[in-house]
Amino acid sequence: MPPSRTLSSVRPEDVPELPRPACEHVRYGNTGGTAGTPGRGSWVTTHAPQTAQSVTLPASLDEAVAALSAMPAAVPVAGGTDLMAAVNRGQLRPAGLVGLGRISEIRGWRYQDGHALLGAGLTHARMGRPDFAALIPALAASARAAGPPQIRNAGTLGGNIVSAAPTNDTLPVLAALEADLVVAGPDGARREIPVSHLLAGREMLGPAELIGFVRVPLLHAPQVFLKVTGRTGPGRATASVAVVLDPARRGVRCAVGAIAPMPLRPLEAERWIASLIDWDGERGLAGEALTAFGEYVAAACIPDPAPAADGEEQAVHSPAVLHMRRTVAALARRALGRALS
Amino acid sequence: MSNDAATTAMPQQVDSPQPEPPAHGLGVSLPAADTRAKSEGTFPYASDLWAEGLLWAALLRSPHPHARIVSVDTSAAREMPGVHAVITHEDVPGDGSYGRRIADRPVFAAETVRHHGEAIAAVAADHPDTARLAAAAIAVEYEVLEPVTDPEKAFAAEPLHPDGNLIRHIPLRYGDADATGEVIVEGLYRIGRQDPAPIGAEAGLAVPRPDGGVELYVASTDPHTDRDLAAACFGLEPERVKVVVTGVPGATGDREDPGFQLPLGLLALRTGCPVKLTATREESFLGHAHRHPTLLRYRHHADAEGHLVKVEAQLLLDAGAYADASSESLAAAVAFACGPYVVPHAHIEGWAVRTNNPPSGHVRGEGAMQVCAAYEAQMDKLAAKLGLDQTEIRLRNVLATGDILPTGQTVTCPAPVAELLQAVRDFPLPPLPKDSPEHDWLLPGGPEGAGEPGAVRRGVGYALGMVHMLGAEGTDEVSTATVRVQDGVATVICAAVETGSGFSTLARQIVQETLGVEDVRVAAVDTDQPPAGPAAHGRHTWVSGGAVERAAKMVRTQLLQPLAHKFGMSTELLQITDGKITSYDGVLSTTVTEAMDGKELWATAQCRPHPTEPLDESGQGDAFVGLAFCAIRAVVDVDIELGSVRVVEMAVAQDVGRILNPAQLATRIEAGVTQGVGAALTENLRTARGLIRHPDLTGYALPTALDAPDIRIVKLVEERDVVAPFGAKPASAAPVVTSPAAVASAVRAATGRPINRLPIRPQAAVAVPKP
Repeated sequence: MPPSRTLSSVRPEDVPELPRPACEHVRYGNTGGTAGTPGRGSWVTTHAPQTAQSVTLPASLDEAVAALSAMPAAVPVAGGTDLMAAVNRGQLRPAGLVGLGRISEIRGWRYQDGHALLGAGLTHARMGRPDFAALIPALAASARAAGPPQIRNAGTLGGNIVSAAPTNDTLPVLAALEADLVVAGPDGARREIPVSHLLAGREMLGPAELIGFVRVPLLHAPQVFLKVTGRTGPGRATASVAVVLDPARRGVRCAVGAIAPMPLRPLEAERWIASLIDWDGERGLAGEALTAFGEYVAAACIPDPAPAADGEEQAVHSPAVLHMRRTVAALARRALGRALS
Repeated sequence: MSNDAATTAMPQQVDSPQPEPPAHGLGVSLPAADTRAKSEGTFPYASDLWAEGLLWAALLRSPHPHARIVSVDTSAAREMPGVHAVITHEDVPGDGSYGRRIADRPVFAAETVRHHGEAIAAVAADHPDTARLAAAAIAVEYEVLEPVTDPEKAFAAEPLHPDGNLIRHIPLRYGDADATGEVIVEGLYRIGRQDPAPIGAEAGLAVPRPDGGVELYVASTDPHTDRDLAAACFGLEPERVKVVVTGVPGATGDREDPGFQLPLGLLALRTGCPVKLTATREESFLGHAHRHPTLLRYRHHADAEGHLVKVEAQLLLDAGAYADASSESLAAAVAFACGPYVVPHAHIEGWAVRTNNPPSGHVRGEGAMQVCAAYEAQMDKLAAKLGLDQTEIRLRNVLATGDILPTGQTVTCPAPVAELLQAVRDFPLPPLPKDSPEHDWLLPGGPEGAGEPGAVRRGVGYALGMVHMLGAEGTDEVSTATVRVQDGVATVICAAVETGSGFSTLARQIVQETLGVEDVRVAAVDTDQPPAGPAAHGRHTWVSGGAVERAAKMVRTQLLQPLAHKFGMSTELLQITDGKITSYDGVLSTTVTEAMDGKELWATAQCRPHPTEPLDESGQGDAFVGLAFCAIRAVVDVDIELGSVRVVEMAVAQDVGRILNPAQLATRIEAGVTQGVGAALTENLRTARGLIRHPDLTGYALPTALDAPDIRIVKLVEERDVVAPFGAKPASAAPVVTSPAAVASAVRAATGRPINRLPIRPQAAVAVPKP
């Protein structure tokens, strides 16, 4: 029950004995006015639209899949940072919720054949910690940059992948790492799909399928994630770049996030710069090479407009697009420079 | 009086040891009474209101910026279970139009919608979701029209409103129109749309009264005007409508768009039930007034020594679809278009025009902030052209008491502009972080950002700003206050809304000072009290504070008169300190409680500052009661490759008249500077063809703790304004006005780029690194 205080006694500086109108029926209290949580017993008597009537809290991945199979209209929820915002805005009215927070198997990670099998329920806060950063530095950096602490404490790796917003910070890192998703399906089925296939829509999650794990190679080499936002405090990326080095395969992998619906991989630029790097020796890369790499990446992600046909005016990029291109070039140059330093 | 005697240097550290401060009265840092409740989260705001059997309201808003309404079919919504009422423009019993200044805005759009988010219908239902679903079920057929979104095209466009597209035009002419200077600089400037973005979105509760009237519980900042608007809309006498002011969760402009309150009251009257409405963040962005986006074209003439000869300017304010406060904003913009500088000749043309963009209105520092960014950019250009230092060009032109504004008004109040500028100029610059470890550096882009020390350039910039205080152009500024004392407790009853500006704390301090009573309480505000006017332009510090002081002095006379009579001396020879009454010679001594002798003392007084006059057809007139000035030096770091900017430090010197509450004054200045930094760097409510693009706090980036700079209050000049009660000047608006210009000046210095648009976009702050 909310405290039943009358209006006239609410503010500390208010004077209760002042002549006040009789409006004892009005008071302050937590009315629970947000959608789905009507307060004070009014739940029963009002015509509340159908909101989540069933909430399941499975303890294992297979139970969660079974719960989703049993109620196809239910929606899985982990951190809820996107889902609950949509519910509160009235854009989503899930008939049921399957909470993934109690599935302990997906909240940590384990090692498998030179890879880390990351649970989809890992929070950004957990991935930002030093022990995780020692394993996969770029993913840790992207998790630390992903928003204010409240969001990082709740938001999960799996949620970041399935919500697939272009500005999600872990996505370019996963694309650069060429991560694979381990998808759990009904009857204990498991299948693997590359993260880029899901993000590009080439392969989709089926009904009652959940991302259980993310398989990420352990490269034991420098990795960098950099992003640009509109302010000094946490904000959505306007552009981000992940660069990972793979000395065993003598490769450089780079992905650019936030400027397109999914992370972009400048494959030619990667191959070109990998061929210049002295993988065995101590020789560093010349500054000009770093700059050229940056330009190469930017030109691959934001190509020049197609040459004009005869008689037509040559299209040019707007100043905002040109700035985005310069930003991507600077980010890619800085990221590679830091990875190699 | 020497400069030193008239000023107080603020201590650098708040926690520096101070001699035992007195516990109450003026000049001490009395904490606000609601501080604890607010920090613990128990302070009740309008969204916490509850009444038995209440219904929930929802508004249907236009998804188009400009459209003709062909038909509105509410039958599906009415038939939904749980829906109690659906109302449209046909259900407004009184005036269908309202406006705080000009009644040009429909309560519900009838034939035409003129901006994105304009209300068309309202629903009351027994659950908030039901109400929203029912609002969505109202079928509106629109004939979408081409929106007018470019204010420059509004002049020639088809009239968007029966009143026409030109809301006001002020052609200010001062001095010789043909005068020219040896040096001329020109510029075109654009200022974006800042939103007041109150932390608590609009909310309210309407309760029908048995007598057929209605009570509105809302976080209004101008309860009596809102009451009158509501009464006119409901077709009721003003006495039958009562506005009760609840906790105000943030107000830097006209809080509580009446567009929320009127449907709420109409629904309560229609259903006979209490009705509550809590706006979503999106609705809040759609509904309330924003700062005027402004286009400014300037030409400054100066002689070879850098003395200003003439300023020519054209100012175009985008008022959005309705007039609201645009006329006042334009007057401030035109009057202060030259800034706190002596200008012998001026030719300023200002227009406020109607468009289909989101509505503009009063946001603190309106008009003055936009022109400050432009005239200070012009001063930087003049300095560069003449090879003068940024501060030198300003010092050669600064205004002082006795100078004449381009409106023909003589500056009679203290105007220590030169002193303010010298104070910020001479304050030591913040050190470069080069000696601290690299991972401690907070580079542009933030702690996990992409900043690289090699690409970061530091810039220092200056700005001088001015604002007017109280209403302008003949507004009747009056406030009434009552002070009551009984049993050692004093009560202040005044309809001045505490918006966070500190009025209730000030009222307590005034009564403590005058009556020596420690326990002072401030009553909650409603419209049964006499009007105190809107909480804007610092008027409550001045007008309501003045009324409280007069009432307290009248109570003091009532208290002391019997004693004075008994001892055969005048009341002036008695003084009250710490609850004790003593005579001048120390012979008589008694306590306030004894003197009261169980009596109850009441007094009511009014304060009405000297009148002002409207600007005439050539922009001339004594339009302002008082002026306040501010000087800010900004230090910024710019990553010149990415164009990201971090404001390192803002050094503020301000003309405050008299310090009444040092801690509260400092917080007001810090808050103003932070709002100004937001306007300079991130805050811009973007639209595309009249549609608000990101009406949420992710898309609309307010400054966070990491974005807020170190704010150094270098000097507070205490030169009392003789016409103001206590000699104090309100302090909040001046730093809001000055900060954006200072940040822009510093970015200009760091990058060498012109910076002619606010907020500063990253591409405007990118520079070619110097070898």
